[in-house]
Amino acid sequence: MPIQIIAPAPFLSAEEEEEEFQVEEDEGGVPLDLDNDGDTAMDGVAASKRKQGRQAAGIVTPGEIVTDDPQWMRGHGTYLSSPTADGESQSIVSSLAGTISKTNKLLSIRALRFRYVPEIGDLVVGRILEVQTKRWRVDIAAPHSAALLLSSINLPGGILRKRTSTDELQIRTFFSEGDLLVAEVQTLNSDGQASLHTRSLKYGKLRNGYFMTIDAGMVRRMKSHVLTMNTSNGGGEVDIYLGVNGYIYIAKHTTPLTEGGVESKSVSITRLEEEASEAIYSNVNEDISPETRAEIARIGCVLRALVKANVKIDEEMLNLGYEAALEEFLEGFDWGSDTEAGKRVVDLALAKRRMG
Amino acid sequence: MEGLRNDGRRWNELRRIHCQLSTSSTNADGSSYIEQGFTKVLCNVTGPAEPSNRQRVKQDSATVSCEVYFAAFSGTDRIKRGRNDKKVQELQTAIQKTFSSIILTHLFARSEITISIHILSQDGGTLAACINAATLALIDAGIPMTDYVCACTAGQSTSIFDNEGASPDPWLDVNYLEESDIPSLTVATVGDSEKIVALSMENKVRIEALEAMIAVGISGCARVRGIMDKEVRRYGKEKLEAEGE
Repeated sequence: MPIQIIAPAPFLSAEEEEEEFQVEEDEGGVPLDLDNDGDTAMDGVAASKRKQGRQAAGIVTPGEIVTDDPQWMRGHGTYLSSPTADGESQSIVSSLAGTISKTNKLLSIRALRFRYVPEIGDLVVGRILEVQTKRWRVDIAAPHSAALLLSSINLPGGILRKRTSTDELQIRTFFSEGDLLVAEVQTLNSDGQASLHTRSLKYGKLRNGYFMTIDAGMVRRMKSHVLTMNTSNGGGEVDIYLGVNGYIYIAKHTTPLTEGGVESKSVSITRLEEEASEAIYSNVNEDISPETRAEIARIGCVLRALVKANVKIDEEMLNLGYEAALEEFLEGFDWGSDTEAGKRVVDLALAKRRMG
Repeated sequence: MEGLRNDGRRWNELRRIHCQLSTSSTNADGSSYIEQGFTKVLCNVTGPAEPSNRQRVKQDSATVSCEVYFAAFSGTDRIKRGRNDKKVQELQTAIQKTFSSIILTHLFARSEITISIHILSQDGGTLAACINAATLALIDAGIPMTDYVCACTAGQSTSIFDNEGASPDPWLDVNYLEESDIPSLTVATVGDSEKIVALSMENKVRIEALEAMIAVGISGCARVRGIMDKEVRRYGKEKLEAEGE
């Protein structure tokens, strides 16, 4: 005997109630756009209407059957239902709330929000957690902390220098606990633990700026994740390190100390360059003018506003957002008192993007 | 008012459920807030992340850990419950065990998923609200689970049975007054299936009544799943629309 459960007294309008009713009608699987194999089982007006309605929603939730068609392979975010007694084929069930993505015959679910999963070549911003004898453990907001080997950093005194036991003893002079750095994912081991490297003049210790975190999925993958922005109001140039892992560092632009010395280094390693390289690992901030600080804070606020409005961040969006913030005359720091400011900036930025 | 309970509900009527995802903008990977009647619970999920305690590392799967905090002002009496409070530990274990079996932990070897729950207001069905909140927060964190875990309570209104031994209707989703008056149980199911993942009862009840209580609880869970699923879809739609711009 089925028990009827009365729903809680609705706070919903009549339309929403109807919507709920329709959702319940949609039992058993999400339609896949089976255009490549001519599966036209779902013809007729009613079916196509239903199909459209579901695709507009486009979301699967945990426990929802994605398909029971055996031709599909299951990918990330799905699992196979336990086999039924009557020997029916197993169906692919979603384990996440997100959207379906199809690659040939592989079905996977992309979650709405997810933690960062490292991939080779990703530019990440990280923080040193622990110093070991020959390596550092770095927090990169992934399921496992990453490793940074002493052999995969630029040692002072030129790129081509060999690692010595003196360097091992001085490991804390390069990076110590709590230091921020920008690095690239070099390798991944079998459980997805990343190994980083900073063997490029673009990477290394971060200073002169401001650290913030956002959702990893909100940073769009781009050609370059280090942006240099020419700020107004006498702020000068500001560097933005958009880590793919959702860690972001906004800093005053400094001309890399080793710049210009790159070519000459292969010729001879002079005393001057050695000193310059040691400055890479300096822990002392430069003088940052109040104007630059204000612009750094403004960029931080723009990023936060974009994330709050669920707009993915890329170079274009950031520039537009910054322009919008300037037009709204928003100071870097006092957005907090104006709760609508972020929304206004994002709307303006989106309008600008549509204009082209 | 024949047939109505002290708060005006029928025997098979749920209290109002209001839930929200991504409520916290702090460094939690997923968060949720749920109100079931006047029971209010906030949940944050972190993970999969590096385990805080090396001893808890499992080589082939993720560790699920749970922390429950009762706000001192949450009940009728002001009680501070510490970390070692028996009730707190019981809740933690129940939630931890429930979710260990539902989360696909084998995907995240040697990592930890932490569910931290703050109980802001108690009005019956605390465990059920905690489980529901944790489900939503885990979904928000993008942690793979076999299905929703939905929990609901059911109580046996009276011990009077008629001559045939048939019991009167059990009460669904008991509030604080009912919970302190009558025997009740909390049942959690996997989605809207009838698979039970957690069942807890702290009082004595006549064996004839038990089956009906569980049955009502399970049906309540299916309804709760519908409500939570609707909110997840609404939230997802909102998020996708913004990204599409």
